Amino acid sequence: MKVDIQSLGTFNQLAHEGAKEATQSLAQMTGIDAVVDVTKITLLNREDVGEELAGQEFVGVQFDFEGALQGDTVLVFEADSVGPITEALLPGGADSEMEKSGVKEIGNIMMSGFIDGWADYLETSIDHSPPTYIEDDGAEILPEVPAMNEQPQVFVFKSQIEWVGESVNFYIYMLPEYEPLADLMTEHAETESDAIPIDKLSVFNEMTTSGTEKAAENVEMMTGIPTEAEVTQISFAPIEDVPKQVGNDTYVGTVVEFTGAPSGYLMVLFDEVSAQNVAEALMPTQPEGEGLTDHHKAAIEELGNIMTSGFVDGWANVLQSSVDHTPPRLVHDMGQAIVDPLAAQVGQQQEHSFIIESEMQTDDIEFRSQIHALPNEQELREALDELQVDRADETDADVEQIF
Amino acid sequence: MKVYDGSQTEQSTTAQPERKKVGIAEYTVTTDDAVLTTSGLGSCIGVALYDRESGAAGLVHVMLPRFEDGDGARAKFADTGVEVLLDELERVGAKRRSVEAKIAGGSDMLDFSENGASIGSRNADTVRETLDEYDIPIVGEDIGGDHGRSLRLESATGDLIVKSASQDSATL
Repeated sequence: MKVDIQSLGTFNQLAHEGAKEATQSLAQMTGIDAVVDVTKITLLNREDVGEELAGQEFVGVQFDFEGALQGDTVLVFEADSVGPITEALLPGGADSEMEKSGVKEIGNIMMSGFIDGWADYLETSIDHSPPTYIEDDGAEILPEVPAMNEQPQVFVFKSQIEWVGESVNFYIYMLPEYEPLADLMTEHAETESDAIPIDKLSVFNEMTTSGTEKAAENVEMMTGIPTEAEVTQISFAPIEDVPKQVGNDTYVGTVVEFTGAPSGYLMVLFDEVSAQNVAEALMPTQPEGEGLTDHHKAAIEELGNIMTSGFVDGWANVLQSSVDHTPPRLVHDMGQAIVDPLAAQVGQQQEHSFIIESEMQTDDIEFRSQIHALPNEQELREALDELQVDRADETDADVEQIF
Repeated sequence: MKVYDGSQTEQSTTAQPERKKVGIAEYTVTTDDAVLTTSGLGSCIGVALYDRESGAAGLVHVMLPRFEDGDGARAKFADTGVEVLLDELERVGAKRRSVEAKIAGGSDMLDFSENGASIGSRNADTVRETLDEYDIPIVGEDIGGDHGRSLRLESATGDLIVKSASQDSATL
């Protein structure tokens, strides 16, 4: 089964239009002025879906859908924002039962628009169940991971919607079952030059996991702090949406250009607190001065360098090729502004981009780091073409070889 | 619980003008004193156009220099982005002869191109050329350097407020 860049672009656009449709329904019903911030298709481990929701309570609605696509879709928003949202719907106050039915009502209208948009485009029918009200902490609010999970990696369509002027975010997750979606993507693919075998995308994810593990080992070796590789995912989005993947908080980190197959850019980013903590773990004595000093930055530069080398080595091992990189450039700026020039450089050759993302963290100190890579699309495709599927994961049989 | 960011707290005692966010490769115009914002400009450029006579204002966030070299929305490119913003501004009542421009962004940060000009400076050159073609004067600019910027266009006055992570904000 193959999927081409064009059809990934089309499916991304579809999810984006669906989310816009849902947002307009919300505006008509409540007067809430909201915009769709980001829509992306992500391939990741099923149990990692919803990591970005950690640490907050959410409420929302869930639907099942079936037809040309099957699966679940949910719309959730922070529990704190239920008040303002239902107030917009039912001015003058609502009790908790009314709030629940308000949430259901809003969810129903938004998600009907979302699903209908998909069905119209695919010229097929997708039925959905009535909405179920849901509330829970973090990723718990999402549908349970199936017990018999034959397909560990899944495609998820994620949209983030921002209520303008309020710090309220809505999230739409669409979790289609892998096989029907893969079939549909294959049907919509022009299987010519730019097609990528879907199974190789997940192999690439495994490569990235191995790269992140190596990077985490290097952090551990250098700082003595046990560090764990966390989520690894590969996403696909229009190039102009790439900078939004990193928020507008200030980050410290390093950026390199890597060359080889594929070429591209790689960022290692720390939020300011993590940067300060991890840099101090590397220093023999407490630095003088407040905040992030030049000593901190020098330590981050060194750390960024070994994390980059570890990550790139992980890739090169699987690809059995060499991937070189430039010396790291230190950055300390707004997240989106760091990614923007890199996306622009990649965007001179391509309209969409794959974004490889991984995270690591440690329990000992407050420390979290993200690695983002923007590979050249055509070279990534070629590298995947060259890749023997069984090289990255020798324990799994290659389905295509058996049948 | 409502959580406000800093910019809103400052204004919370007065009636707040509507705030509209302009994403990358997007543009927005207003005739009713809205505040137009765009954030995280690295090599991208924010072009603010303001017509003193009609009060119409608009903001576009462009990413790459020339439309002919790529694919995508017109607002993604410096040349067509300026054009599409000007068209839309005229459509809501602005007169080209009284339109002025303020521009910010176009940083050279993280530019790995080894030969030739950085994307930031090529974006800036193209914005300037295009504005010049339409005889629109640039009355304020904050271009280049090696840092990111966020912008707020107050369409009541035409003020363009430029913020960066490490410096105090400046008003153009």
